[in-house]
Amino acid sequence: LPAGGVSLRLCSTRVALEGINKPVIDRIIRVDHAGEYGANRIYAGQMAVLGRSSVGPIIRQMWNQEKDHLKKFDELMVAYRVRPTVLLPFWNVAGFVLGAGSALLGKKGAMACTVAVEESISDHYNSQIRTLMEEDPEKYKELLQIIKRFRDDEREHHDIGLEHDAEAAPAYSVLKTAIQLGCKAAIFLSERI
Amino acid sequence: VRCQLSPPQRPLQASAVLRRVSDEQKKEPLASSSQQQFDSHPTDHQPEQEPQGPRPSYTGQGGQESEDYESEEQLQHRILTAALEFVPEHGWTAEAIAEGAKTLGLSVAAAGMFHSDGSELILHFVSQCNTKLSELLEQEQKLVQLGEAEKKPTDQFLRDAVEARLRMLIPYIEKWPQALSILLLPHNIPSSLNLLTSMIDDIWHYAGDQSTDFNWYTRRAVLTGIYNTTELVMMQDSSPDFEDTWRFLENRVADAMNMGNTANQVQSTGEALVQGLMGAAVTVSNAETSRAVR
Repeated sequence: LPAGGVSLRLCSTRVALEGINKPVIDRIIRVDHAGEYGANRIYAGQMAVLGRSSVGPIIRQMWNQEKDHLKKFDELMVAYRVRPTVLLPFWNVAGFVLGAGSALLGKKGAMACTVAVEESISDHYNSQIRTLMEEDPEKYKELLQIIKRFRDDEREHHDIGLEHDAEAAPAYSVLKTAIQLGCKAAIFLSERI
Repeated sequence: VRCQLSPPQRPLQASAVLRRVSDEQKKEPLASSSQQQFDSHPTDHQPEQEPQGPRPSYTGQGGQESEDYESEEQLQHRILTAALEFVPEHGWTAEAIAEGAKTLGLSVAAAGMFHSDGSELILHFVSQCNTKLSELLEQEQKLVQLGEAEKKPTDQFLRDAVEARLRMLIPYIEKWPQALSILLLPHNIPSSLNLLTSMIDDIWHYAGDQSTDFNWYTRRAVLTGIYNTTELVMMQDSSPDFEDTWRFLENRVADAMNMGNTANQVQSTGEALVQGLMGAAVTVSNAETSRAVR
């Protein structure tokens, strides 16, 4: 077993599993992993359509950050022995379709999608941070740091989206509401299944 | 997911009550569980901390009967463990539990704490075997990490783990088909499924599985299939030391490895094909363009 890259408390890639609230941590890691996976696919879809346009570099940069996030959650998933959600193949397709679909509405459409998704994700991370703080900030210090950092990254993506005229997209408020509803459903399902 | 039987824990003077009911001479006091740390930890997880078989604290503690509050769950575990010895003779029944209770100096009425179909006894046994397997795999892993043993290739690891786990059934093999059918009763399915899935997950974990995609499910499903079919073969195996079973196991594991390789090959072929088609399309469109230009 390769050694974990982050400072984990036990040897190899394992973390001390005794004493943590396994059901809560399980859900958190599973849903976050699914979320980062979905975000990856969304940006992939957007790149497929807008890769060669003027916003291509911006999308690629955000996509690379999501790839790092996903890698980190892969590590955490192994370390905490969490199972991934069964719906991963579904999020694979749905994410790509959402990204490509929003990109077909134009650059502003893609940015609107980014704003909607990143806002959902930041709110979601915030509530997880609250949950962990209520549980035991000391015990989950490392996890909290990671989630806080990622939340800040997602917030940044959200702001980048706004800077690039997301709000001028066609049917912005409808689009945003629909996408955020989808995100809520995805979060609900991925936590459980 | 570590799961054992989890009746609600309540500090109960069960041992005291049953002792009053018992007709027999008390042998060793059951009292000496006071140093057991039951008051601080819920007993239905962390199986590595639970000693197997009769608790060492019950031997040679003198004649004192201190006021102990052994939890009901701990008491039940002790009775069930003691009952296992009588399973080859009585099967997975209340009789075996009653005999087990007798060896602990309790009344045979203690068997009334359990279902009459022997469910808890079987689940307890399965849980105990799973714990033993985890400990075994943990020790092996330590040896590998210390460099004192070679890391096994995946197929051999899986074979050895499944064989080690199935060998634990050998002392009870006559009565095991009965146990399997009881485990399939609707009211037992959640527990037995839970125990099965956590055992399979454990084996893959120690085998070094780090998948975080759908492979996580595929691997566990395949291994579950291998385990269950091998178990069934074992029930009907009459060869010396079950060598037919282990050969069956080896073949199934090899099949599973092949399946993985085949899946990869199919994927590579598919990708190569797609690239070929794309190249052909580009070539054709270039040819068209150059012809149009001329």
